[in-house]
Amino acid sequence: MANEIESGQTRSKEVVSSSGEVILMQDIGFSYGKNQLFSHLNLRIKKGNIYGLLGKNGSGKTTLLKLLCGQLFPNEGYTSVLGFDPIGRKPAMLGEIFYLPEEFPLPKMKASEYLKMRSGFYPRFDHAMFEQFCRDFDLDMQQNLNEMSLGQKKKLLLAFGLASNTSLLILDEPTNGLDIPSKRQFRQTVASAMTEDRTFIISTHQVRDMENLIDPLIILHDGAVIFNDTVDSITDKFVMDLVTTEPDKGEEVAYKEKVLGGWMVLKERDEKEGGKGQPLDLETLFNVVVENPACMQGGVK
Amino acid sequence: MNRFGLLINREVQTSKRDLSIYAATLFLILFVFETIQSFVTQYSYSGYSSAVYAGLFPNFLFFGGLIITSMAFAEDMFSKNGQQEWLMLPATSLEKFLAKGVLTAFVYPVALIAVFFLSSVITEPIQLLFFGNPVTLFNPFTRAMASQLALYWVWHSIFLLGSTYFHKGHFFKTVLSLGVIGIALGVLGLLFVKIVFSIKYGSSLRTFDVIFSFDSLLFQPARGAAGAFRVFSKVLYFVVLPLFCWVTAFFRVEEVQATDAV
Repeated sequence: MANEIESGQTRSKEVVSSSGEVILMQDIGFSYGKNQLFSHLNLRIKKGNIYGLLGKNGSGKTTLLKLLCGQLFPNEGYTSVLGFDPIGRKPAMLGEIFYLPEEFPLPKMKASEYLKMRSGFYPRFDHAMFEQFCRDFDLDMQQNLNEMSLGQKKKLLLAFGLASNTSLLILDEPTNGLDIPSKRQFRQTVASAMTEDRTFIISTHQVRDMENLIDPLIILHDGAVIFNDTVDSITDKFVMDLVTTEPDKGEEVAYKEKVLGGWMVLKERDEKEGGKGQPLDLETLFNVVVENPACMQGGVK
Repeated sequence: MNRFGLLINREVQTSKRDLSIYAATLFLILFVFETIQSFVTQYSYSGYSSAVYAGLFPNFLFFGGLIITSMAFAEDMFSKNGQQEWLMLPATSLEKFLAKGVLTAFVYPVALIAVFFLSSVITEPIQLLFFGNPVTLFNPFTRAMASQLALYWVWHSIFLLGSTYFHKGHFFKTVLSLGVIGIALGVLGLLFVKIVFSIKYGSSLRTFDVIFSFDSLLFQPARGAAGAFRVFSKVLYFVVLPLFCWVTAFFRVEEVQATDAV
């Protein structure tokens, strides 16, 4: 078993160092019973980024994350996570992944006891870092876990995950249940814990909470990844503008939305106009990609 | 601490409150039983029985142990939210399975013996002080205790399999299944006997009764075979059956994680 793990780790380093990819999914098919969710899904994730995973309700974001962790098994296709096949659920792989689900039960014990119980599983766990995160999140380690609110529990697990120093952190709706100051604190903490060897995948509906944090973006739609690129790749090609009248049908716009004071339109960037235009927010970008995937072909990887 | 040690520690830490309550309740029950017996002995002028601990031990060993075993995988394997943490723990499925199996099969009986012994150490001097009863500490080193522990090893393995097989109501479903299997085996055995003896002695079972009136000397040649059958049965019951249940339970854990997980 030791040899197996060793060879797995060696393989992991080779895969990551040669291509910079920590995750590779090819032709993934997955279904819940007869309900086909993914068909020929492809995904590449490079290390050292904070990926945002976006998609409509039921698009399969959580399922995709569980496939990456080895909690669910695909019906077909090839998956490599940190050089391991997640189906094997090898301890060497699990020790390099921290997964924070949207809902989770915690045992009836003090936070300090929980830390003592679980930290040993992660060889690079940094206790000093954990204490710092707990101070940042205003957490009391002597408090019982069953007396904590959902937000406090989530902050505790976030602090734990960040301090575990795993190569891959998968966070499913991490800002759900967090109060407004905590959301800001969350962004700051994640940004401070980011290193070039770590990769974050954050699945969220609260795109405004993640503005300026997540980039690149992965957008799941109709059982496939329809967008996997940086926000800049869109802003380089398109420009957002506020116009007072609705664009004509003949006018070439990628997206339009009625807003206060007129229409927000996204159109191809004119070289002459240069950097003019409104900043493109993630919510609009998501709507553009989902409603008009064809015009984003250049952005789809 | 190695991974297996960490898993054992996790199991103990997550259930230590419930187990502490269980141990305290057990102590109170033993204390109350001893006290009631002391009262009865004092006012009825009957003889003092020293078998309270030995009498109660099998109840807690079997009922307590088998219920705890039945619940071992309920939260971690069959609870939609609970299983995520268990699945993501950096350890192999075998290690996770063995941690639960070892704790319920070996650590529980040892801990129960310790609680019984400590309870007797605390209770007996009090009984001596107030009622003048002789001090009779709980003695785990008896032949009866050894056979109870051997039986627990067998029954535990069956309930361990039940805990991994059933999604809900593990204990009752295992008991019901055992009942159904028992009835089915009984019917099969009866049919077997009826068919075999009908072939040899005719179609009526009345002839079957006749064989018991034969002289025991007639069975002399069969004694060797019966002895071998007894050894074979014991090996089957105490070794093969538990091992079968443990191995099947492990494969069931693997299967659930691959199919029903999350």
